[in-house]
Amino acid sequence: MTDLAALRSEAEIIASSLPPLTFKSTASEAPHVGSAGRRKAGTGEHFWQYRRYAKEDDAHRVDWRRSAQGDDLYVRETELETARTALFWCDPHQGFDWRGGEGRRTKADEARVLMLALGILLSREGDRIGVLGSGRTPGFGKRAIDRLLEDLATDQSGDFPPPPRASAFAVVASDFYDPAETWEKRLAPLAETCREGVLLAIADPVEVEFPFQGRVRLRRPGEAIARIFGRAQSIREAYREKFKANREALDGLAKRLGWRLVEHETSAVSLAGAAALKKALESFGGKA
Amino acid sequence: MSLLAQVTSPLSLGPVVFGAPLALAALIALPVIWFVLRATPPAPRNQDLPSLRLLDDLKPREETPDRTPWWVLLLRLLAAAAAIIGLAQPVYGPAGPPETQPSGPLLVVVDDGWAAAPRWSDILAAAEAAVDASGRDRAVHLLLTAPRARPLTDPARRRSQQEAERALDTLEPASWATDRADALERLEASGLQPSRIFYASHGLTDGTDGAFLEGLAALAPLDVYVAPPRATLAITSLSSDGSGVSVTLSRVNREDPLDVAASAHTVDGAALATAQASFEAGSTETTARFDLPGGALSRVSRFSVAGMQGAGTTWLWDSADRTRRVGIVSTGAAAQPLLSDIHYVRRALEPFATLLEGDLADLIQQRPDAIILTDVGTVPATEMEPLVEWIEQGGALIRFAGPRLAAQDDELLPVPLRRTSRALGGALAWDDPQALAPFSDTSPFAGLAVPDDALVRQQVLAQPAADLQARTWARLQDGSPIVTANGRGRGMVVLFHVTAGPDWSDLPFSATYAQMLRRAIAAGRGEVADDGEGSFVPQLVLDGYGRLQSPGSTAEPLQAAEFATIQPGPIHPPGFYRGPSGTRAINAAAGARLAPISAWPAGTRLLGDAEARRLDLTGLLLTGALILIALDLLIALILSGRMPRLPRKAMAALPLLLALAVALPHPAEAQMLSARGEEALTKAEAAAINMRLGYIQTPDAELNRRTEAGLVGLSRILWLRSSVEPVRPHALDPERDALELYPLIYYSVPENAAPLSEPAIAALNRYMLGGGALMIDTRSGSTPGDSQGLESLSGLLTGLDAPPLAPVPDEHVLTRSFYLISDFPGRYSRRPLWIETAGEEGRVSGDGVSRLFIGDADWVGAWAIDENARSMFSVDGGDDQREMAYRFGVNLVMYVLTGNYKSDQVHIPALLERLGEDEEGGEDIDIDSLPTLQDGGPN
Repeated sequence: MTDLAALRSEAEIIASSLPPLTFKSTASEAPHVGSAGRRKAGTGEHFWQYRRYAKEDDAHRVDWRRSAQGDDLYVRETELETARTALFWCDPHQGFDWRGGEGRRTKADEARVLMLALGILLSREGDRIGVLGSGRTPGFGKRAIDRLLEDLATDQSGDFPPPPRASAFAVVASDFYDPAETWEKRLAPLAETCREGVLLAIADPVEVEFPFQGRVRLRRPGEAIARIFGRAQSIREAYREKFKANREALDGLAKRLGWRLVEHETSAVSLAGAAALKKALESFGGKA
Repeated sequence: MSLLAQVTSPLSLGPVVFGAPLALAALIALPVIWFVLRATPPAPRNQDLPSLRLLDDLKPREETPDRTPWWVLLLRLLAAAAAIIGLAQPVYGPAGPPETQPSGPLLVVVDDGWAAAPRWSDILAAAEAAVDASGRDRAVHLLLTAPRARPLTDPARRRSQQEAERALDTLEPASWATDRADALERLEASGLQPSRIFYASHGLTDGTDGAFLEGLAALAPLDVYVAPPRATLAITSLSSDGSGVSVTLSRVNREDPLDVAASAHTVDGAALATAQASFEAGSTETTARFDLPGGALSRVSRFSVAGMQGAGTTWLWDSADRTRRVGIVSTGAAAQPLLSDIHYVRRALEPFATLLEGDLADLIQQRPDAIILTDVGTVPATEMEPLVEWIEQGGALIRFAGPRLAAQDDELLPVPLRRTSRALGGALAWDDPQALAPFSDTSPFAGLAVPDDALVRQQVLAQPAADLQARTWARLQDGSPIVTANGRGRGMVVLFHVTAGPDWSDLPFSATYAQMLRRAIAAGRGEVADDGEGSFVPQLVLDGYGRLQSPGSTAEPLQAAEFATIQPGPIHPPGFYRGPSGTRAINAAAGARLAPISAWPAGTRLLGDAEARRLDLTGLLLTGALILIALDLLIALILSGRMPRLPRKAMAALPLLLALAVALPHPAEAQMLSARGEEALTKAEAAAINMRLGYIQTPDAELNRRTEAGLVGLSRILWLRSSVEPVRPHALDPERDALELYPLIYYSVPENAAPLSEPAIAALNRYMLGGGALMIDTRSGSTPGDSQGLESLSGLLTGLDAPPLAPVPDEHVLTRSFYLISDFPGRYSRRPLWIETAGEEGRVSGDGVSRLFIGDADWVGAWAIDENARSMFSVDGGDDQREMAYRFGVNLVMYVLTGNYKSDQVHIPALLERLGEDEEGGEDIDIDSLPTLQDGGPN
């Protein structure tokens, strides 16, 4: 586990170099309607428009200061500000907190940076952020970011957490090396509540390339069993096939759930990953 | 039983002998090792891979395990083989034990004469190898061919192998020649019957080797190792004359041309001079000529050949053949030189003495060995005191009679004289002219031929006295003294009772005259030239390596008469012998004729260099095996990924380190002065980019090298001590090169140089006008009388726009621009340096900074270093003066670069004083009243 402060500052940098989240105005209201993205009158803090007083309005809603300028009565409307909730989850598996070489982050750290950057963007919009299964209520503001980081960093061993009660926007980060069926089983309850979500699949270049040669004993972190390959290069093609198939299955799973799949390699620039994640988030509502 | 004996005894395979051949059986195991290593796959590398899960359902395919790479296999096999062979204790020795191994004693004969010294280690190594190869239980006997006072080795003494090796280790070559006849006698006297003889020889004949070798060969089978006389050199004779010394060098090998350097040393070992000599192909002799002034010659005590150690290449020079410095008091140019007394003295002494002429006061100043006064009646009173002092310190005053002396004399005479001269023969005389009587045995002239045709016609007569007899060196046939002498202090006063010329006698016409004069001169410095008398005690003796040591107890005094015939040996080793009449030397190789032994007895086995060596391979092989195993370990670690990876930076530094290691043999100095990437640049571009000094190329290539070496030396000092970091200097042709790129141009004026061409002079003028600095060094500082040699410069530099010059004044900026110095020494000190006169009106020369420096102290000579940063030339005042020369160089460059900047410092006290006055009195500083300095000051 790397230094949390370093992760945080990295995330801040990424967040500051990304444009603010812009949700489509047509985005569905229920799970997440941010202060910036609603663009219609409703409950909120900011002024939206003055409109003529209608009979059905309460008398106390008349804005007297505006109405005093003319003969008509006006009602002051504010922009609808409904906070969305985003819930993050980072795979606690030991193999996820692993890196294949010097000079890059572990996959888990990379996931944390990306999610944290997104969390910062969201909380800036006034959305609530939290960690799935952390037991804390999602919040917003600076403290929410601190808490998000804390909860992301806390090792939650155990099973996949139960779905939240209220609808939320879910970001699930893992390497998704377990079979797609396993994941479907895990995600199905979550997808029930959260109709919109992102699968953030993070891989190390070593896992993509399989650069081993000669006699190699391979071991999955967190598991005792190791496999010896006499000539590792001979199974490279097969491995790459497997890897591709895994990603295709994952994509299918995301489509079935109505979610998005974001793939990211730890060797790539984190900003690119964050941008892809943001784009996936903003794409919601487009079809609705 | 016999089989066992065979395998446990050493086994010889060609030139290699195995001490424990049984271990070789393990070599059979090599193929097994190979098979096992090949079958066993290398240890797998451990790797983590989270995505291994993806391969869970991948069926393990039938796969051939990765083989150990063939080169790792080879490495391991090599290590195993090296270890096994190493354990078999192999010894490489082509000489090896002979096929049949007689068990009788082995006789090792070693040549330990002076000729063995240059290759003594080879000879010893060969002898030790022979002892080593002889086997553990074999008796060894040693025989040395050079005679010793107490025989170091008795051939009859039986030694074990170890004892023999120890004895050999302590041997040192003798400084005298081998005497093989004597050695053979000793061997025969011992009655030893060796079964085999090994002879380590230096290969030079001593005249008795034929019989010796036959004698050896008759005793037992003979193996001979000859340390081939690579360049065996010896100084075999020396001759001196008035102007120098020649030493004759001999060698054995006559094929190739060879250059050698001989050097002359003082008693305490300081080298005074070096002379080059070259052997031509086919010749075995050459001479090295030392041209040294008399003063220096008198300090030389030995000659040696550079790079050779050994008594043979050292020649001790005693006082006997040393040239004397003789002062002749000149009486002005004679109208008829053939009638002048001095003419005869001069001609007689010229072949073997350095003559100084001048008036008496000057001569005493120069401290000659002897002073000759011809017919001087009374020595002037003012000269009397120094003259007497000089005599008492060991000078020989030789006076000739004549009319003036007959008329009046002084106290500086060996005997009191009658105040008249005696004429023999002639019309009014009773007596006939007399010839010389034979010299008495006690006279220094003893042994000289008495000329019977040299008649004395006139002489001054000594007053009879009791000790007249003792003081007489030569007398006439009638018994009257003709040469008298008397000691005075450590010196001697000698009087010839006749004139030096032929006025009074025919003696000056005879050859004996010269010999008599010569012996009389030798009386100077306390060394009476009576060769035949007294015994000489060894004072310093040479050891076999040519080093002077105190004589051991075996060295015995020597009678003077024996010097001519003495063969150096243990009783009378080469060295200096001190006797009543000075020091005499015995030289190891005097008159030696070097010739290789050419005839070997039939059946002799001659071993070359390679064959006589023995190399114990055990350690080598075991070490090799160990290194291979370590290498294998390293490779295994790297292959299995367990080797901690070096950080990237360290990896990047690795090639750099390697490059550094490769570059290290190059002298660091050269790197300091080398500028990178100049190869692609033209000279002018390079000069513009990197600051450097320049020098004017002369037709004299040697001088150019010298100048460059000097400037390199100065540049190095500048690098080390200041922020001026000049790179390698450039040779400049003023006609072609862009001079303005060089801050300082050095011009070493060659001897007999042609004047610079007009374009060159014009370029130099432009250069100086543009602010460049030109340093001209005539290098003639060694000649004391020459006033600067500037006269010759005027011809050379015709047209050079030289400003009026003046010697550097005290307090000039040059004395303080970096170091505080007071003199500007080069190889010669106390030589004035001429610079531009300051404050010359109407001259466009930058701020009164001199742009021209002229001197003769040979600065580049003092600065010059070779590639290894060693000084190349000697300097008058030694290292201290060299340091001062460097300091001057630094100051000069600083002065050239900074101009009069430092001269402001000169004014500080005056300025401070003025400022103080200003505060008190409110007086304005009057710039004009500031002290005007010679250089750079306001005026």
